[in-house]
Amino acid sequence: MQFGATTALSEVSIAFEPGEVHVLAGANGAGKSTLIKILSGAYPSYRGEIRVAGRPRRLSSPAVARALGIATIHQELSLVPSLSIAENMQLSLTGSALGLRSRARERAFAARVLSLVGLALDPDTRVERLSLGERQLLEIARALAQDANVLILDEPSSALSEPERLRLFSEVERAVQRGAAVLYISHRMEEIYRLGQRISVLCDGALVLTRLASELDRAELLRAMLGSARPELGAARPLSRSAGEKAVLEVRGLCAGQAARVEGVSFTLGAGEVLGLAGLDGSGPSVLLRALVGEAKLTAGEISVLGQRYLPTGPGRALGRGVAFLPADRKASIFEELSVVKNASLSALGRFTRRGFVDRARELRAVSELSARVRLKAPSLTSSARALSGGNQQKLALARCLLAGPSVLALEDPTRGVDAASKLDVYAAMADALRAGLGILLYSSELEELMALCDRVLVFFEGRVVSLLTKPEIGRERLLAAMMGAP
Amino acid sequence: MTKHEGDAAEGARFGDALRAPARLLTRSSTARALLPLALVLLLGCVFSGQGAFFEWQTHRALLREISVHGILACGMTVVIVTSGIDLSVGSVLALSAVVFALLTLHRGWSAPVAILWVLASGTLAGVASGLLVAWARVQAFIVTLAMMVFARGLAKQLSGGQKVSHYFAGADGQFVSVPEPLFFGMLDRKVLGGNVSVVTLVFLGCALLTWVVLERQRLGRYLFAVGGNFEAARLSGVPVAGTLVFAYALSGFFAAVAGICQAVQETQGDPETGLGYELDAIAMVVLGGTSLSGGRGGVGLTLIGALTLGYLQKVLSLNAYSTELRLMLTGAILVAAVLFQRRLVASSDSG
Repeated sequence: MQFGATTALSEVSIAFEPGEVHVLAGANGAGKSTLIKILSGAYPSYRGEIRVAGRPRRLSSPAVARALGIATIHQELSLVPSLSIAENMQLSLTGSALGLRSRARERAFAARVLSLVGLALDPDTRVERLSLGERQLLEIARALAQDANVLILDEPSSALSEPERLRLFSEVERAVQRGAAVLYISHRMEEIYRLGQRISVLCDGALVLTRLASELDRAELLRAMLGSARPELGAARPLSRSAGEKAVLEVRGLCAGQAARVEGVSFTLGAGEVLGLAGLDGSGPSVLLRALVGEAKLTAGEISVLGQRYLPTGPGRALGRGVAFLPADRKASIFEELSVVKNASLSALGRFTRRGFVDRARELRAVSELSARVRLKAPSLTSSARALSGGNQQKLALARCLLAGPSVLALEDPTRGVDAASKLDVYAAMADALRAGLGILLYSSELEELMALCDRVLVFFEGRVVSLLTKPEIGRERLLAAMMGAP
Repeated sequence: MTKHEGDAAEGARFGDALRAPARLLTRSSTARALLPLALVLLLGCVFSGQGAFFEWQTHRALLREISVHGILACGMTVVIVTSGIDLSVGSVLALSAVVFALLTLHRGWSAPVAILWVLASGTLAGVASGLLVAWARVQAFIVTLAMMVFARGLAKQLSGGQKVSHYFAGADGQFVSVPEPLFFGMLDRKVLGGNVSVVTLVFLGCALLTWVVLERQRLGRYLFAVGGNFEAARLSGVPVAGTLVFAYALSGFFAAVAGICQAVQETQGDPETGLGYELDAIAMVVLGGTSLSGGRGGVGLTLIGALTLGYLQKVLSLNAYSTELRLMLTGAILVAAVLFQRRLVASSDSG
């Protein structure tokens, strides 16, 4: 198969051989998901040529891709939780002439699918009762049962337990033995080398290298993934720590979360310090931030804020104790129907309220002063938040956290999907907050951001802190290697 | 992009002179709500029912007729702003009417004490619904449907299935007739030179109270926040459960107020009264332009919606349409009005 250019990918030419696991690696935004979307038929407007089994094909829709034997298993699974296994399998079968369902045929097909991966389950079990690993195996089995000869797996192991992962590996190996070509996307070093026979690296939309796994060592792989530094972040204002400050947040032996979890996390955050949290999706930083405001179940450990013991029970109480949390997803932080003022003041309304009535003049003064500090660009303070750009919405959400007057800011990837200019505004607002004596916990999916902004970085791997890097040693390679579980 | 440019070119062809005032008219939600009302009033002027539409008496009667529904619509607005629904208001109204009649007529309680009890019981029904919605996380539709059936049953149980009036069988089995308490006459009176009935003033008072809560109080901010984006409200530290309970409690409270008004107007507590009133209240809210998906709207809009619905039915009845035809026309016009408003919203958003 061969590809031409798209916007996020340019001039990528790559071939997948039958009977081989081909690992695709690359940092966030390198173009992996674009490539997968093209191959699964979800991006029909690509330029270039794709040949399947030697013949040029146009992958114009997911149905076309499936008919050509290309099966994609996405991170978000495509099973219907409220239906049974048999019914789910039936969704991909063609019906009888009258569009009637045959229960016997459904069950027989489901049984065949289940036996392919050795899952001892009743076909009538509803999918919502299966573990994530079982669902993933089920999807792979469905693809195999439909005689897929190209199998695309997008980070399939990220949410799996150890035994489930081993099971997955053996299924992938079996598929390969049957002559399938497997395209495997992974972030885990150990997995890349265990499964991959050939490795391709994407960086900034370009194919950097394709090599046999046996001819590519880890250091070289990391270097290829990192590419060259992006210049825009060089302009980020470095945040300095005023040394010898008091601790605003102390965490000892924290265990939290259920499906995604963290274990045994301990650290101290000083006033005026930015403590970075690094890790792949699902490796722990998000759970830690949520646990601090009572959004993830705390199972062990001690937290204190400004020296006082603190048991998080919910975002409202957390704000009362001085911990403000900003979620990465703007859908969980912005009220599109409400005005800028109402959005900004929501968490701090208590300060503007007397006998239940909002003092709107004081509220407006406080919000307009703060919105100037975060350099918010809005048509007016009374226009609805819907009218704001993504970057300005993010500044607005940050303004709400700041207005609540916290001592700890827990930021979850605050510049995700934010334009370059707004990023700098966010950094400036953070620097402002630091000068005011706040401590900032910053999780970011961009390594450059962590390097530029943080005094220290805690690196998570599979729910545990695997290393603590301090300023001079926070380098891209060290960060990425630790995130990928390299010793 | 190309579609946008196409729209812009089209706009230029039609001329900006016409567009600017049109946009001004459609950008404000109040203006959008007033348009259907203006259309209905225009209809009234054209088909005036031999001039009956131009008599002050017609309008006075209309204001009185929409008052009880309007009081329910105030509470409904608050619930709908939180993206919920309260189907129980018609039944809670009947329950309140029955309890009020029982206490004042049969037990001989003084009106103020009876009012307190009825308001408390209506609020309690709302709190029960609110708790189920907020803490048990049952869908508002189901919870308030259950409350609707339950309250109707309770009203029938308490009244023995009979209308509770001043003529009833006493403890000894003999029928007695008590004089109508003073309060009944008071609430049903017309004031301001006999032009406005007291019930209408009660309605306006409820609307004002709702406006203060929604637009001036912290609680109002919380109500809009919960309805606009529940998850974001929770993460921003809004006490979401308490806010939801308050919304349903206020709706129950207003249903009790409406029940007392209804009992006074009918001079009896009828367990079958208020059937389908919840739907009228919802129609008033929606006609005003408050979105059923929550987080947007207001009680001022509901006031306009109440007038629109009231005038629509008035015009149809003045022109001697049969009840059957009136219902069908009301249904059709409701849909037309909502579709029309949505068009306006869409055109103002893209502008």
